Amino acid sequence: MIFALNFLLRRLAQGAVIVFLVAFLVFTLLRVVPGDPIRIILGPMTPPSVMEQTARELGLRDPIPIQFVHYLEQLAKGNLGHSFIRSRQGGSTGGSRGLTTFESQNRAAVSTLILNALPYSLQLAALGIGFTILIAFPIGLAAGLNAGRWPEKLALYISSAFVSLPNIWLGVVFILLFSARAGWLPAIGYKGFSYTILPALVLAVELSAVAIRAISVAIANALIENYVDVGRVRGLSRWQIIRRHVVRNASIPLLNLFGVQVIGMLLGSLFVVEYIFNYPGIGLLTINAVFERDFPVIQAIAILASAILVLVNIIVDFVATNVDRRLQY
Amino acid sequence: MTAVNLAADSAADTAVSHPKGTSLGANMLRLAWRSMDFRIGLFVFGLLITLSVIGPFVSNISATQFHIMERFLPPFPMVGSRWPHIFGTDELGRDLFMRSLIGLRNALAIGVTSVIGMFTLGCAVGLVAGYFGRWTDIILMRLTDAQMSIPVIIMAITILGVSRPTPASVVAVLVLAGWPVYARVTRSVGLAERQKEYVRAAKILGASDIRIMLLHIAPNILPPIAFVAVLDIARMMIFEAIFGFIGIGIQPPTPTFGTIIASGTQYLINAWWITAIPGLLLAISLGSINLVGGALERARNQLLQGIG
Repeated sequence: MIFALNFLLRRLAQGAVIVFLVAFLVFTLLRVVPGDPIRIILGPMTPPSVMEQTARELGLRDPIPIQFVHYLEQLAKGNLGHSFIRSRQGGSTGGSRGLTTFESQNRAAVSTLILNALPYSLQLAALGIGFTILIAFPIGLAAGLNAGRWPEKLALYISSAFVSLPNIWLGVVFILLFSARAGWLPAIGYKGFSYTILPALVLAVELSAVAIRAISVAIANALIENYVDVGRVRGLSRWQIIRRHVVRNASIPLLNLFGVQVIGMLLGSLFVVEYIFNYPGIGLLTINAVFERDFPVIQAIAILASAILVLVNIIVDFVATNVDRRLQY
Repeated sequence: MTAVNLAADSAADTAVSHPKGTSLGANMLRLAWRSMDFRIGLFVFGLLITLSVIGPFVSNISATQFHIMERFLPPFPMVGSRWPHIFGTDELGRDLFMRSLIGLRNALAIGVTSVIGMFTLGCAVGLVAGYFGRWTDIILMRLTDAQMSIPVIIMAITILGVSRPTPASVVAVLVLAGWPVYARVTRSVGLAERQKEYVRAAKILGASDIRIMLLHIAPNILPPIAFVAVLDIARMMIFEAIFGFIGIGIQPPTPTFGTIIASGTQYLINAWWITAIPGLLLAISLGSINLVGGALERARNQLLQGIG
């Protein structure tokens, strides 16, 4: 118990340092690129003197480290700041017309924007992982149980084919075939659950490429362990051995993979797929924020995303050590 | 996928057992050559490279010239297609075959350059961390962890989205995204290598650290990593296409797969080929690279595990 706590604390401290580094990098990067955010906040028609005054009031003329410290202070209070662009009602103001002052109360809170988009992304991610398991588990299991024979070869070709399909192309082809031509599923935007299916399938093809190979390797490695022979001696049937021992033991390396690789891939692919399908999740929010130079939104999402990756890594390591006591903390 | 396999096998690298006098890298090539996948992949890939490099010089069809009279021509076997536009033409009457070939050339250039970059940077960091150990190791590895915790797409849209993307900045972003995996693998293999006799012998003979790293350790451990890096070329080409699609890649009028596919989405119903056919060519190129890379990876795994 003590070393479990010790492990968690050490890793959390390391993780905090990493997230801090990421936050500082993103924060600095957004402020050294050309382009003055005050122009975006107030719109191009504002008199320069007003612009300068508002910029001073908002602290945009302070040195970057001081701005960063202010940002961290707000962050510690749970305040992610306000969007430069989006009004409370959610629409883009495109630079406030006529207004000469910036009232952050009129702009949407970044946390609200994120919380509104998050359920959509979670739904898409969950369905994508669900489809991935449906596709990859049977293929991977068949391949792992028949190492060196045709099912393994076939699984290998399927995963090679999947990994060679660019998601942007696959998304558009799915829209063309299943939505525009066949009319089976809706595709663009979001007006109900059915809008999640096609993007989730694109996600699943991408993730399955990795998952199929991982599952087949994990199963094949678990098969050559002692407990398989012991199980046979104990009179367990083939399926009992597979279910009770092989799949269970294979789950440890898989857990590791799903934590690090799949969550990382998912974060990236989610952004692209949401953009292709105009799906109103975090990814679309971020990409639009980049085009509108809405810095508070970008930095909040970048920090959250790296925090999620770091946390998932810690959780996966922690769970893996608890599933298998042989592993060292 | 490369990340996992590179990392998973690195522990086994200590137990390298291959015939005397030949390197692991050479054996990997020999073993991979025996597989049909490798030869087919290499053949298709070679063909596509040749076409994309020579094609635009030999042909007098322009990839960027507008021909308003020849807009939306369908691809070859379809009714209404016109020679020499075998892939058809786009909304401005530009030849899609030539655009795809140049797109492929650009994607390959970006892919190969960025993989060379991330390989060099990652392996250098990994070698130094593994060789010196102690504080150097800790600092470099924390840096690697930090870099790995930034999702590629988020980093890319932040850097490329707020500045004006150029081929160089696209490559830079990809190198930044890719180097940590190479650093980790090289470090773990290098750690084991440091204890070996030839390294201690070189040290006793008075060789400098840099000399030992570059002339003794690197030639021993890098070739297998480099062969498996072939798979990353395909991954980077996909990223390049994604950047182009979002509008943060190489900017028009230079043809890239991403911009071609993105422009085609507006005419999807009536002119599906603008998106579908260039994308198919990209998928075939990626497939051939993955066949070659996959065969090399399997060859390495076989050699390391002593199977086959």
